Amino acid sequence: MALIELDEVSKVFGFGEATTLALDEVALSVEKGEFLAVMGPSGSGKTTLMNIIGLLDRPTHGDYNLGNESASRLKPIQQAKLRRDKIGFVFQFYNLLPGLNVLDNVSLPLAYRGMTPVRRAKRASDMLELVGMRDREYFMPSQLSGGQAQRAAIARALINKPSIIIADEPTGNLDSHDSKVVMELFSEIHRQGNTILLVTHNPELTRYASRVIYMYDGMIVGDEKTPIGQMARHARRIYFKKQRVTDSDIAAGVSAMLKDIPGKEITSKTKRKKATGRKRRLIKRSKK
Amino acid sequence: MFSGNYRSATQNLRRSKWRTFFTMLGIIIGITSVVTVVSLGEGLKHQITGQINQLGNDVVTVRPGKLLSKNGGGTNLNLFALLTPSTLTTKDVGSIRQQRLVKYVTPIEFITSSASSDKGEFDDVFVAGTGSNFVNTVHQKIKYGSYFTDDSDSGNFAVIGHDVALNMFGELNPIGQSVTIMGQDFIIKGVLAPSEGGLLSLAQADYNSSIFIPATQAEQLTAGHTNILQILTQIKPGANIDQAVKDITAAVAKNHGGSGDFTVLKQDQLLGVTSQVLNTLTGFITAIAAISLVVGGIGIMNIMLVSVSERTREIGIRKAIGATNRQIRQQFLTEGLVLSVLGGIIGVIVSLAINGLVKLYTDWEPVVSVWIVLIAVGVSVSFGIIFSLIPAIKAARKDPITALRGE
Repeated sequence: MALIELDEVSKVFGFGEATTLALDEVALSVEKGEFLAVMGPSGSGKTTLMNIIGLLDRPTHGDYNLGNESASRLKPIQQAKLRRDKIGFVFQFYNLLPGLNVLDNVSLPLAYRGMTPVRRAKRASDMLELVGMRDREYFMPSQLSGGQAQRAAIARALINKPSIIIADEPTGNLDSHDSKVVMELFSEIHRQGNTILLVTHNPELTRYASRVIYMYDGMIVGDEKTPIGQMARHARRIYFKKQRVTDSDIAAGVSAMLKDIPGKEITSKTKRKKATGRKRRLIKRSKK
Repeated sequence: MFSGNYRSATQNLRRSKWRTFFTMLGIIIGITSVVTVVSLGEGLKHQITGQINQLGNDVVTVRPGKLLSKNGGGTNLNLFALLTPSTLTTKDVGSIRQQRLVKYVTPIEFITSSASSDKGEFDDVFVAGTGSNFVNTVHQKIKYGSYFTDDSDSGNFAVIGHDVALNMFGELNPIGQSVTIMGQDFIIKGVLAPSEGGLLSLAQADYNSSIFIPATQAEQLTAGHTNILQILTQIKPGANIDQAVKDITAAVAKNHGGSGDFTVLKQDQLLGVTSQVLNTLTGFITAIAAISLVVGGIGIMNIMLVSVSERTREIGIRKAIGATNRQIRQQFLTEGLVLSVLGGIIGVIVSLAINGLVKLYTDWEPVVSVWIVLIAVGVSVSFGIIFSLIPAIKAARKDPITALRGE
C-alpha cells in the first residue's frame, strides 16, 4: 500500500467567471521512502498539489489517502494533528518565526504536541546537531544566513519524525553553495528512509530524486523513475535547452520550459478539448 | 501549553513596547479611576462614620422632612426630603425637652454662611444658633474659653470652631475679639477643640468651620424665621433609646398635628442613611469610571485585531507546523489576557499612588480595601478574555494557505 494515494483529485479556486481549475483529476501514488521531485512551470498546480498532500488544503473532488487513512474529509483539528505528527514542511522563504530563537523555532511543533519545555529543548538541540546548527541554537532567525535558516527550518520539519517531508522550492532563495548543503541534507534524510516531496524549478536537483513528475496546467503530464545521482532524462532536456529562450518566446509569453515538458505533444487539440469539457463539468459540480 | 503561550505573548508584547503601553493605557486609566473613586468613597464613609460615632451612641437626632420611607423589606432614603424647608420649630424643642428620658436638647438653627472679622468677610463658615448644652449633647470639647452658660443668655457671644479661629483671626485663641454676623457684632467667648474629620456630612455640620451663637440671638437675627436643621437630643444614661425615640416622635407629631414631616434618627440609622447616600454617590461615579474601562477594553480589541492581521503569516506558519485552531485561539487570548491583567495591575498601583498623594495633601483619607483590588483584577481578567475573544477567533479561523501567502 502506497503512503500517499491520490485518486482523481481536483481543486477549483474562485467562483463564477474567476474560476480556476488548479488540479485536474490528478492521480498519484507515492511509496514510502521515495524522493519525489515535482517540476513544472509556475501556475501548473505544483504548490496546490503539495498543499493538498500536506493537509493545508482539501480537494474539491476526489480522494486522498495518507497511510491507509482517508485524509480528504477530515475535520480541521484532525488535519492539524496529522500535519503536526506526519508531515514536515520546508518552505522557500524558511518561514521561521522572527520572534523566536532557533531552538524555540525548531521545538515549536513539539510544543503543539504538549511536550514539556525541557524535553522539547533537548530534542530540538539533538535535531540541530543533526543539521549542523548546534552552535546557532540561540541565534535569532535574522542573524542567520539563508542556508543556515533553511537548515533550521529542515530541523523543525524533522522534529516530529514525520512520514512525509514536503519541501516547496527549498533552494529557490539560496546560492549554489547553500543549495548544495541543503540538498545534501535532504539526501541524507532520504537515505535514512524518509519520504521526501520536493518542488523545484531547477532540473539539476533531480539528481537527488528517485522519481520525477512533471506538471502542466493542473495535470501530471510526465512521470519517470530516475537513478539517484543522475539528472532525470526530461529534466536534462530542459536543463540544456534552458539557455535557448528567445525574445520571441518571451514575447509570446511562453516560458522556454514549457516547450520541453514531456507529453505536451500529447496534450494537443484532442486532449485539451477533453480537458476543457471536464473542466466545465467540474465547475458546474462545484457550484452545486 | 499555557506557559508557552504566556512566554510567546510576553515576547510579542515586549517587541513593540510603545504599542503595548498605549494599548494598556485604556485599561490602566479605567482601573485607576474605578479603584480611586471607590477608595475615596470608602474613605469618606469611614470618616463620616467616625464623626457619627464621635457624636455618641446616646444621641438622637430629629431632622425635618420625612427622610426614610419604608419600601418592601428595607428602609429607603428619600433624598427629596433634604430639599424641603425645615418643618421643625422652637416649640418642638420645648416639647422634646419635657420628655422624661431626655437629658439635653439643643437645636441647630442655620443662620448664614458668611461672617466677617478684621481680616475681611468669609463666606465658607457655618453660622448656627444652638442651646447652651450643645457641647454636652454632642460630647464636644472646648479648647479655650467656655460655651454659653444659659439658654436665656442674651449676651452677644459666639463660640467658634478651630479652623474659623485660624482663618478669620489668624490665631488659635482669639477670645475677646469680635465677629460680625448679619451686621451684628459678637464677642468670641470660646474656641472648640478640633473635631475629627473635617467634612460636611448629613449627620452634622463640620464643627471646625462653624460659628455658634445662642439660639435666642439667632431668632432675633432671623426675625423669628428660624431654620432648624436638626434637634440634637442626648438620652439619660441607662435609658431605653427606643422608648426615648418613641416619646420624642409622639411629642413632635403632636405639635405637627399628627403629620409625619420629620424624622427621628438613632445613631445606627444615621449611619445607615449616610452610607446609603455615599454608596449611591460612589456607585454613580464608579459607573462613569467603568465606562472608561469598557472603552479601554475596546482599545485592546482593536489593537489585537490589527495584530492578528499583521501576523497573518505567523499564524499560517504555526498552522502549517501543526497548531490546531484552538491552540492559535489560546495564544491570542493569552496575549489579550496578559495585556489587560498587566494594565489592571498597573492601574491598581497608580491608584495607590494617587490615594497616597490625596492622603498626604488633603485631609481626605482614602481606604483601599482588598476586595476592590480583587474586583479590579477580576474585571481586568474578564475584559481580557471578552475583548480578545473576537480577534482570537478571527486568528484561529484563518485559512492556513491564505495565511501563509500573506505578508
